[in-house]
Amino acid sequence: MDSPSASSLFAIAAVLVFIAGLYGIIASRNLIRTLICVEMLAKAVTLFIITAGYFSNRIALAQTLAITVIIIEVAVTAVAVAVVLALFRHEKSIDATIVRNLKG
Amino acid sequence: MLAFFVLVPLAALILLNVPRKAVPAKAAAAVALVLCIAQAAVVIIRPWDVFVNGGPLNHYFAFAQNADPLSMVMLLTIAIVLFAAMLVAWDGFAAARQLFNFTSVLLIALIGMNGTSLVRDLFTLYVFLEVTAIASFILIAVARGRDALEGAFKYIVLSAVASALMVTGIAILLLAGGATDFATVAQAVRASAGHVYIRLAIGAFLCGLFIKGGLVPFHGWVPAAYSSAPAATSVILAGIGTKMSGIYALIRVTTSVFGLNPSVQQALLLIGAVSILVGAFAALGQKNLKWLLSYSSISQVGYIVLGLACGTPLGMLGAIFHFFNHAVLKSLLFVNSAALEDRVGSTDMDRMGGLGTRMPFTSVTASVGALSTAGVPPLSGFWSKLIIIIALWQAHFHVYAAIAIGASVLTLAYMLVMQRRIFFGTATDASAAVTETRFALVFSEVLLAAITVGIGIAIPFMPFALDTLKTVVAGIK
Amino acid sequence: MTPGQLLAINAVLLAAVVIAALWTIITARIVYAAVGLALTSATIAIVMFMLSSPVAGVFELSVCAGLIPAIFLSAISVARRMTATAETETARDQLKRFWPLPIIVVLVCIVLLVRTITFSGGMPGHAAPAATESAGQESNKPPTTQPPVVPPFVSGPAFPPLPIQAEQDVRTVFWSLRHMEIIGQIVILLAGAFAVVVLLKEPKNG
Repeated sequence: MDSPSASSLFAIAAVLVFIAGLYGIIASRNLIRTLICVEMLAKAVTLFIITAGYFSNRIALAQTLAITVIIIEVAVTAVAVAVVLALFRHEKSIDATIVRNLKG
Repeated sequence: MLAFFVLVPLAALILLNVPRKAVPAKAAAAVALVLCIAQAAVVIIRPWDVFVNGGPLNHYFAFAQNADPLSMVMLLTIAIVLFAAMLVAWDGFAAARQLFNFTSVLLIALIGMNGTSLVRDLFTLYVFLEVTAIASFILIAVARGRDALEGAFKYIVLSAVASALMVTGIAILLLAGGATDFATVAQAVRASAGHVYIRLAIGAFLCGLFIKGGLVPFHGWVPAAYSSAPAATSVILAGIGTKMSGIYALIRVTTSVFGLNPSVQQALLLIGAVSILVGAFAALGQKNLKWLLSYSSISQVGYIVLGLACGTPLGMLGAIFHFFNHAVLKSLLFVNSAALEDRVGSTDMDRMGGLGTRMPFTSVTASVGALSTAGVPPLSGFWSKLIIIIALWQAHFHVYAAIAIGASVLTLAYMLVMQRRIFFGTATDASAAVTETRFALVFSEVLLAAITVGIGIAIPFMPFALDTLKTVVAGIK
Repeated sequence: MTPGQLLAINAVLLAAVVIAALWTIITARIVYAAVGLALTSATIAIVMFMLSSPVAGVFELSVCAGLIPAIFLSAISVARRMTATAETETARDQLKRFWPLPIIVVLVCIVLLVRTITFSGGMPGHAAPAATESAGQESNKPPTTQPPVVPPFVSGPAFPPLPIQAEQDVRTVFWSLRHMEIIGQIVILLAGAFAVVVLLKEPKNG
């Protein structure tokens, strides 16, 4: 499985998840769903890192980087969810149309 | 010793938050102010050779940092802007608890930005950029106002996309080079220049930085985030936050890692020029002071990028000088905005007028800030813009130099309009009864204005200052 | 297990990842989306195990398939309690907004797979034979979009000695060689805790 084309499979899968996450961020109406799509981006990125580490024979470094990314992702998610919940207290709704106010 | 820039604020953060009996908010704020002053003093005076990557701590910890002159300029800028922001926050929050929380998160931002300027590894750079970003999210949302929470949410989502792009680039570069530190990646990029995946990686990484730095076409989140944030946070964000995250990182990677190959250079020139124009034109039509200042920030950051894109030492000098100047100037203008908001109750310029006599300090310092941003001699903004324009001309980018000069006229226009609407003319109902704002704001306004004027007047007479800046440029590598 | 079988297993796993991700994003009910996130993370963890990254796989499993969906589910239930209006998305509305996504994904997948198979270099690997083979192929192709795969992606003696080259233990790398990042992560976790306190703590006097 160490042929170059094998790494392409992993890369392609990661790219697809990335694209799906981006589409989801743009198209979703529910704030929590937007955050879940942001998580998807992080997943794709983690997959990229591990793939890169495996195919360059640096799995120890790659795992370290991936763990760091996961930790950062948790913290950002916690902050984002806290912001969304605080927003609920004001708005009583999680419809994403309420955040369109600041566009423009 | 270098690690102190990151460890001391961390120690302060922990010590302030651990005691069971809550530390009074003003005491915590004082600690933060002292830290900022200490940081600025250390950079200027440089006692005991603090910038050597050595010292007792390095026996136990592997802190891979370095402080070249560019990092030192950054540390100084960070200290100045955070000092001003802390003063704005000093009595700018309704509840003491809010001030305490703000101070704690400001310390986190300090850690993040100091770390960003000191690291020499792409991934560690990303980690500290995330620290700065998370601190920014919380700083925007700290007062829990509805608009602020919205602005924070948008910023979070866009920042997450930017981070994902950056780490994707890092992953591909890891594949190519086997490690993530600057030297290894630079070598890998040089060894396989032009390879499509390397180009993709660099492109993705740079796009992430453009988003974080608020450059066109990724500038959409900037005005909303700057304006909806509380006054002190706007000072931090506009003064240093997005600049560290986007522009300093851009400078660092284009000089030390990726190199300025022609396609990157073209992209930077284009993005810089478009940012200048879009920011300037958009600022002309704004009614809200903070929105006007936000677009002005986007425009001025374009100048920095143009200076960087020249590729010549003079251009780099201009870029770094303008970085520092703009940090001071934007902080000054946002402190003015905080003062106006404090007294008039809103940042809508229609509700202001005739404040020149009523708020003398704010009026004078705002004039200084406006004129310096527009590049009027002998203020500091004039010198840095001049250097950038000369550098562009020398590098045969005549069109871009012309754009830079033309946009200065635009900048002068919207700045003068702003001045007239706020400080001259007839007073409106809302502004008739105001007096000068509170002392902390006046102090920081005057301080920042003094720095601007001082540097502007002194530069031609201080050859050693120019030499210092030249060593900054020469020392980057 | 032959390389071919291994490749097939990985291909199936990766397809499972993509399908799980799509389901998570498209599904109508937000609770299903949170569960889907856990599922996607679990499949990615399995892929990680296949790529000899057990430590990262365990982390992914426990944090991303456990902690984060738990955060989301508790946020959803709190939001349910606070929401005055009904669920903001019906299945029909969801379908209307998201129907292009599977199509886009399939199209991109096909395009990338075709590019990979025809451009036999694929992702730059570290094997010299593949590089020369595709370099030879490039010379009799008309000038197309791809520059030739240059041999620089070669591991081993071509690289200068790296401090972590021989280091294969994640724990050593994590704890001994990347201290700045440890500080960064500590600060980030502190910041996360601050955020929750700052944003959600009820003021004592109402």
